[in-house]
Amino acid sequence: MTTVPTLAEQASPPTAAGIELRSVVKRYGTQTALRGLDLEIRDGEFFCLLGPSGCGKTTTLNLIGGFVGPTEGEIWIRGRRIDTLPPHKRPVNTVFQSYALFPHMTVFENVRFGLKMDHVPRDESVGRVRESLRLVGLEEFGERMPSQLSGGQQQRVAVARALVKRPAVLLLDEPLGALDLKLRQRLQIELTQIHRDVGTTFVYVTHDQEEAMSMADRIAVMNDGRIEHLGSPEEVYRRPASRFVADFIGDSNFFDATVTGDVAELTDGSRVGCAGGRSGPSTLMVRPEAITLATGPGSIAGRVLQTSFLGSYVRVAVETPAAEAPVVAALRELANVPAVGDEVSLSWSPGDGIVLEPPG
Amino acid sequence: MSAQADTAAARRSGRRRGARIGSGLASYAGFVPAIVLLGLCFLVPLGIIVCYSFWETIDYEVVHHWTFSNYTYFFSVSAYVSTMWATLWVAVVATALAIGLAFPFAYWLSRYVPQRLRVPLLVLVIVPFWTSYLLRVYSWLTILGDQGVLNRFLQWAGITNHPLGVFLYDRPAVILVLVYLYFPFGALTLYSSIDRFDWNQLRAAMDLGASPAQAIFRILVPQIKPGIITAIIFVFIPILGEYLTPQIVGGTGGVMIGNLIVNFFQEAEYTRGAAVSLLIAGFIVVLLLIFRKSLSAKEAYGA
Repeated sequence: MTTVPTLAEQASPPTAAGIELRSVVKRYGTQTALRGLDLEIRDGEFFCLLGPSGCGKTTTLNLIGGFVGPTEGEIWIRGRRIDTLPPHKRPVNTVFQSYALFPHMTVFENVRFGLKMDHVPRDESVGRVRESLRLVGLEEFGERMPSQLSGGQQQRVAVARALVKRPAVLLLDEPLGALDLKLRQRLQIELTQIHRDVGTTFVYVTHDQEEAMSMADRIAVMNDGRIEHLGSPEEVYRRPASRFVADFIGDSNFFDATVTGDVAELTDGSRVGCAGGRSGPSTLMVRPEAITLATGPGSIAGRVLQTSFLGSYVRVAVETPAAEAPVVAALRELANVPAVGDEVSLSWSPGDGIVLEPPG
Repeated sequence: MSAQADTAAARRSGRRRGARIGSGLASYAGFVPAIVLLGLCFLVPLGIIVCYSFWETIDYEVVHHWTFSNYTYFFSVSAYVSTMWATLWVAVVATALAIGLAFPFAYWLSRYVPQRLRVPLLVLVIVPFWTSYLLRVYSWLTILGDQGVLNRFLQWAGITNHPLGVFLYDRPAVILVLVYLYFPFGALTLYSSIDRFDWNQLRAAMDLGASPAQAIFRILVPQIKPGIITAIIFVFIPILGEYLTPQIVGGTGGVMIGNLIVNFFQEAEYTRGAAVSLLIAGFIVVLLLIFRKSLSAKEAYGA
């Protein structure tokens, strides 16, 4: 994957993928923000860069937007190398976390600014601004000043302002970070609708896994300047590539295990089925909703520590010699919830036991 | 607007109280020290100057005889009128240069200098104020004069074998020293206004296709316009009244209107001096009235 391209390969343009990052390294002084990133984003997809703060996701976005330059490597958009171009010459527009609306201009003039810079004739630009404002549901707000809008409305103006330029790629830098949960969920739906309407490639940076899961076609989970896992939300959730990914996305239970074929032996000596994939000392990961609890003794024995009713499911914490931390199970059927102190046995179908590299 | 409503309400309640005017006056008692101070130190002297400018000087005596002759005399002497135009010209050029230097400095300071280094740098800008104004102007003689640092360096470097007199005693020297003197006013005013700016807006502008220069002039400058106008006022108005700088480094070629006023007063032509002073004051009032309109733009977008 990371082999050095030959001269012939370098000379020929790469595949016309939406965006392609080739062995991109970014260092700030002695600190390395990105360690040789290879990434292909397809034309028209909703792509999420997900990870904790400092993982390199915002650096990746800024590299595509042109606000920082790569230390090594190349960036291509639709077959054109762009990492040497200044921001205002790239076919890319950005929605900033702070919106960065221009407070001295009306909403209409904010959205028209980019077209003015491109010398788009007045008649055409007015039409495009109207169309863009309609897309985000703010056609009535053109004459307002940004300070007269709510946070959610300001966010929509920022989206309209970026999309009016019909960029090949729209970059979104935690655009919903400053909004409350209800509004965030509503705007998530709106953003996916807008994405469907315009068909532009969206690259969305967030540290919120739910946001990424609910919107993205594909997610790149980043950690420490690397992509740990790249895949659809379902793949990333069901078959995480590493313990970090499993831990970062959703809830998970971890067991130390020794794997032989599709059987894992846990530290308490019990043997359970697993998905396999590697052998020897490993970490076995099971999602809470994959765990079934039965009364009475079984292969993995435990005792109920706590049960919590959480609306659509009951969360049960079980103490077991097979794992260091209490194992968490999420039960959908509210009828058969064990009581605190009950002796139970844990099980799951072999396909739900994901085998990962052990820590360290 | 609310202030108008307040005064209207105050007027109405005042009428309702009717005879109790005394208590209405009492509510202004707190302003007495300010009114006395303003009256004694500002309004009374101004009134005296206004009167003087319409009186006559005969045999070094001020005669209380009302006339416009001081004003007509000033405009009848072409040397005075050309000095007035030269003063305006010098003030405009010096202000433009001082603000032109202060803007990049303030921009650099608030955008690129780390927070912990900003206060030391601002202190460095203010440090010259700790020395006397007179001393700071005189020190330029030791830089620009025949035996000054600049001439010695040029002779040492072999560029010339005798001191060059071109650096001193003309308008360029006056402008140079004025720019040096008034740069801090411009820099501090602009810095306090730029410091509140959200730099993401410049990134956004460039992201939308603006070149760096377009981003600065279309996004940053309109938003700090009140600060720029304040800086211009702080620099331009005092320069209009400057007389020490042209006197010390300006020679005969660098005379400004302030020197004319000093000369009139030294020759006991008090009434003519008063008239010229009021000409400058009147000009400044007109300028402020024009600027006040642009300053109210501040309210337009609730900055």
